[in-house]
Amino acid sequence: MSPRRSDTGGRIDRLRTIRFTFDGASYTGHAGDTLASALLANGVSLFGRSFKYHRPRGVLTAGVEEPNALVTVLRGEVREPNIAATMIEIYDGLTAVSQNRFPSLSWDVGAVNQLGGKVLSAGFYYKTFMGPVFGPLKGTRFWMFCEHFIRRAAGLGRAGTAPDTARYERMNAFCDVLVVGSGPAGLIAAKAATDQGARVILAELEPHFGGSANWSGEVIDDMPAADWAARTAGQLEGHDNVRLLPRTTVWGYYDGNTLAALERVTDHKENPGKGEPRHRYWAIRAKTVVLATGSFERPLVFPGNDRPGVMLAHAAERYANEYGVLPGDRIALFTNNDSAYRAALALKKAGAAIVAIVDVRPELSNEMRKLAGEAEAEILAGHAVVATEGGKALSGLKVQRFDMASGALSGDARSIHADCLLMSGGWSPTIHLASQAGARAEWNEALQAFLPPKPTQKWIGAGAFNGHFKTLEAILDGRNAGLSAVGATGTPMAYPSIESLPGDPRPAPVFEIKAKGKSFVDFQHDVTAEDVRLAHREGFISVEHLKRYTTLGMATDQGKNSNIPGLAIMAEALGKPIPEVGTTRFRPPYSAVSIGSLAAERFDDIKPERLTPMHDWHVANGATMYAAGLWYRPMIYGLSGETIEQAYVREAKATRESAGIVDVSTLGKIAVQGPDAAEFLDRVYTNMFSTLAVGKARYGLMLREDGLAFDDGTTWRLGEQDFLMTTTTANAGKVMQHLEYFLDVIWPELKVHVTSVTDEWAGAAIGGPKARAILAACLTGTAVDNATLPFMGIVRGKIAGVPVMICRLSFSGEMAFEVYCGAGYGTHVWEALVEAGKPFGLVTYGLEALGTMRIEKGHVTGAEIDGRTTARDLHLDWMLSKKKPFIGSAMMDREGLIAPDRLELVGLIALDNRPLNGGAHVVEVLDEANPHDSIGHITACCYSPALGKHIALALIKGGKARHGSRAFVSDPLRNRFGPIEIVSNHFYDSDGSRMHG
Amino acid sequence: MVERQSPLEPVLQVGSHGNFEHGVDIILSETQPGSILQLAAWPGEEKKLISVIRTVTGLALPDGAGGGSTDGARSVFGFAPGKFTVVDEAEGLVSAFAGAVTPAIGTVTDLSHGRTAIRIAGPKAEWVLAKFFAIDFALPAFPVGAGRSTVHHDVFAQIQRTGADQFDVYVFRSFARSFWKALCHASEEVGYEVQ
Amino acid sequence: MLITCPYCGPRDVLEFTYQGDGNRERPQPASQNLDAWNAYVYDRLNPAGDHNEIWQHSGGCRSHLRVVRNTLTHEISSTTFARGDHKSAARHKAGGKS
Repeated sequence: MSPRRSDTGGRIDRLRTIRFTFDGASYTGHAGDTLASALLANGVSLFGRSFKYHRPRGVLTAGVEEPNALVTVLRGEVREPNIAATMIEIYDGLTAVSQNRFPSLSWDVGAVNQLGGKVLSAGFYYKTFMGPVFGPLKGTRFWMFCEHFIRRAAGLGRAGTAPDTARYERMNAFCDVLVVGSGPAGLIAAKAATDQGARVILAELEPHFGGSANWSGEVIDDMPAADWAARTAGQLEGHDNVRLLPRTTVWGYYDGNTLAALERVTDHKENPGKGEPRHRYWAIRAKTVVLATGSFERPLVFPGNDRPGVMLAHAAERYANEYGVLPGDRIALFTNNDSAYRAALALKKAGAAIVAIVDVRPELSNEMRKLAGEAEAEILAGHAVVATEGGKALSGLKVQRFDMASGALSGDARSIHADCLLMSGGWSPTIHLASQAGARAEWNEALQAFLPPKPTQKWIGAGAFNGHFKTLEAILDGRNAGLSAVGATGTPMAYPSIESLPGDPRPAPVFEIKAKGKSFVDFQHDVTAEDVRLAHREGFISVEHLKRYTTLGMATDQGKNSNIPGLAIMAEALGKPIPEVGTTRFRPPYSAVSIGSLAAERFDDIKPERLTPMHDWHVANGATMYAAGLWYRPMIYGLSGETIEQAYVREAKATRESAGIVDVSTLGKIAVQGPDAAEFLDRVYTNMFSTLAVGKARYGLMLREDGLAFDDGTTWRLGEQDFLMTTTTANAGKVMQHLEYFLDVIWPELKVHVTSVTDEWAGAAIGGPKARAILAACLTGTAVDNATLPFMGIVRGKIAGVPVMICRLSFSGEMAFEVYCGAGYGTHVWEALVEAGKPFGLVTYGLEALGTMRIEKGHVTGAEIDGRTTARDLHLDWMLSKKKPFIGSAMMDREGLIAPDRLELVGLIALDNRPLNGGAHVVEVLDEANPHDSIGHITACCYSPALGKHIALALIKGGKARHGSRAFVSDPLRNRFGPIEIVSNHFYDSDGSRMHG
Repeated sequence: MVERQSPLEPVLQVGSHGNFEHGVDIILSETQPGSILQLAAWPGEEKKLISVIRTVTGLALPDGAGGGSTDGARSVFGFAPGKFTVVDEAEGLVSAFAGAVTPAIGTVTDLSHGRTAIRIAGPKAEWVLAKFFAIDFALPAFPVGAGRSTVHHDVFAQIQRTGADQFDVYVFRSFARSFWKALCHASEEVGYEVQ
Repeated sequence: MLITCPYCGPRDVLEFTYQGDGNRERPQPASQNLDAWNAYVYDRLNPAGDHNEIWQHSGGCRSHLRVVRNTLTHEISSTTFARGDHKSAARHKAGGKS
């Protein structure tokens, strides 16, 4: 057995030995141990070095609030820094290392910072980083140079660089009652609500349910409190309507009673199960929340209060009662309240010698004197600890007479030999979640603590959270909370019988002992009492400012230990009572949360892939796929050895010479149905659709309400009341929402239904001089000659046995057809078309060739319809009907939108025969060193196989008026300058003769 | 007759997967119905549409939002005000409704190719679905037959509970493979079988 | 935040899309009153307190909703279908001149 481990007691399993390492040394512990309890059992007292001064630090607490004993856990290549040793359950093979020390924990060169305490005081960063006033590293540049070294010296653990391969998941949950915390109050609340048949979730951040019952040493209903807690949790487990969540921290309280929780599913396991997530992020929507989150014991502020061996009184009690570990052999206590006496007795019973109880209060109750007597402890009432001694472990302390009213010390300092000093500065209810939920805490003078505010959301408090620190009160509170959470009124219950030690929960209003030496308020950020006073002297009088200036409460423990002492010291400096100084509002998260859990879905579904029906065919046939939004589309079908440019030039050329086929299934498709469908389309498009004949399609343009261009596409009239609208791929969702908005909000009287049918249809566009012959070769049931299928006509037939719908339309300047069929037949029809095209030299082409041909034709897409251009800017004014109002018609003629110097669509030809770049500016006067006076920019560019030139579409001031004139591209970022000619955007088939055939 | 291609084809691997050594708690399958239709009534015509649905399918719709029913071969549920999804194992349901839903009642939209139907069954079906969707899957809140419209990131889903431990999820065809892979991934921890 | 869709019930705000200030009045389609159009397109109320908003249940039934939300507390006091009871139908009938 380890030197500090008792033979009996606690809930650890002494028959199961677990091996782990800390800083490379091997240790053993038992199942049920935390890393902190196991190391303490091995006699380890030094856990880490402090943030700024690199002071040696031990373990202060036994729970989630631990500020000192932060370690890095290594799992394979993955390192996770800043984990509280008090929250790590040991498992075989656990590898932990200490932090913020170099070269080793016991011999740390950074400790030299302690000598520079004055320099590193409050506001260090703000005062220091203002840099030399002259020289090559003038101003902040010098400090940017130093930053690397400063960052290395300060701070906590080092983050890993290896990818985190663990799985994180999100879980949605709903319940009638969420109980946060499973101490006696929470357990009973959960039980009361469960017994009423409510759906209950009980979340406990520790591995075991029971909270203080696990270490209070009390007796509830004639059994040890720990057994009572285990029995109650066991009863809950048997119910279908309750979900127990151990190792689950509820860390955020949001609007609508939505709470966020982190479940640590596998951190305590040597080998996680297959598919098991490491952390689960729970989004819990609760009708009512019972906050039974307990309270935190506060440290006292006195010189040397951070030395390893100084610990919170309840933490030591917990180590003894719950883990069978003694944090010291000769233990002294320093307190301003009664709760420390119970701790003293517990440690005495566990085998330690209690050398003294130093109490700031001059008068003590007989009950406390009796407890001290049982612990065989000397009482030093009206005394205070003024110093601690020792290096990396405590060796003793000094006490002096103390006057509570004035704070004055008097008399000679007396030395006491001790290897452990326990302190208790009173208790603060854990009101974080209530504060997050939006209400202001209220100061309670008697308890010297902030109590939970009046609820602003649907929550009920119970137990120590309410300032009800006695177990009997907590249980009664919990039952009431559980019942009223489900709207029930219970019959009076028999009071549970509770055996507990006496104690008055009201502490003396003493937070700090002013004596020579560093007295720490915030252990983790090394903020001393003097820092707080310095901040005050320098003019920081608001708590919020104080916090930021001193960084008090801003470390990973978020002020769980330092909040109230810091506030009390500030209040004293200001000469104001604590409630007037106010407390800061707590914000999520309550404690540290893994980023992985927030990202949650680590598998592809956070950005799902959208695949067309022919996707697998494209991949199997050599396509390079390109992500266009969520869609995957073929970019090119490259032959071996081809560059992207060679491939698209070949594809575009072959299309114009014979024929090409492209997958257009991604185009947005919306069924517009109903008696008012035509009327509706007249209102949303700038041009007329009510005049469109059944079996015909029309190209349409939509504007936004402000008169700017929104989207374009063709709409097909399949029946009198049945239209198929197509949109650009990128705008499909936006157009759908736009239509739904007008039907729901503006014109609810219109009988029109709109439905997304994008996924219903597979689409293939086949174009080029041979396209019609290819269709004729594989299509049955209809002819495709000019009379049967004129430009913008629609026919139905069959290809390879599958019904198809074909519309003759073109965006490339070639005669082209869009062939639609049920998506499930997409590949079948595609293959039939490809097969039929073989004798005709048909090629498959991708987005690059598609883009090239549309640029040659001068057809606009999203690059030109960019939210700043009007129909006129794009030369689409011919589509603006004068016969009817439409969305955007009233606003499109505003002065600024018809000004002569607007950017208009033109074509550009590179006169130096070099590639152009998208986004490059166009200037009239070339000044490479100092580019100025842009007259517009390039929106899209390509090498045009049809023209044999590098061309572009551009938006240029004055537009058409400049056709035939020369200018320059000016692209300093990519160092591309050169002469261009401004021409019409219709480079190819400008008279439409090829397209119309 | 040409067979319809499933978007799941290359990723649907029949057999047991994940943590299945102690049994599977999830069974995944694609139901491949022949017909998936959307029926939508004009405001005030909902009752007439419901009666047409009953005439054509034999399925009675319970009152209320999201109400639905199923007889195994055919299923129907409401997913939006006045709007219903009707599913049939067999193809061709659209022609049965085309005449019955007159323009005065509402519209019929054929989505037989556009939606993919994935069935998730087993004691952990609620657990796995709760990883994706922020809706309450508990039986009292989501009774057998009922339908829900919801979304996971960009994946829209209509979900019908077709058994105490069974849900049919209708997703857009283009998202089906991505969603299926995610569903398999999320089912690993409880062990799953693909049928 | 939860929004109670009149059709789908309470749902997470993630399922909804904000569709703007619900106080805007769209002028008659043929209206040439630019001031009225300007007000409709650009003016937005920004009250500290109850605000009449349009939300779409885009990740659910896709209905547009009128939501009264308190901008200080996020409390939602009412949620109704934006379509309403179609009483306003006549007012919006197409092409009317104003």
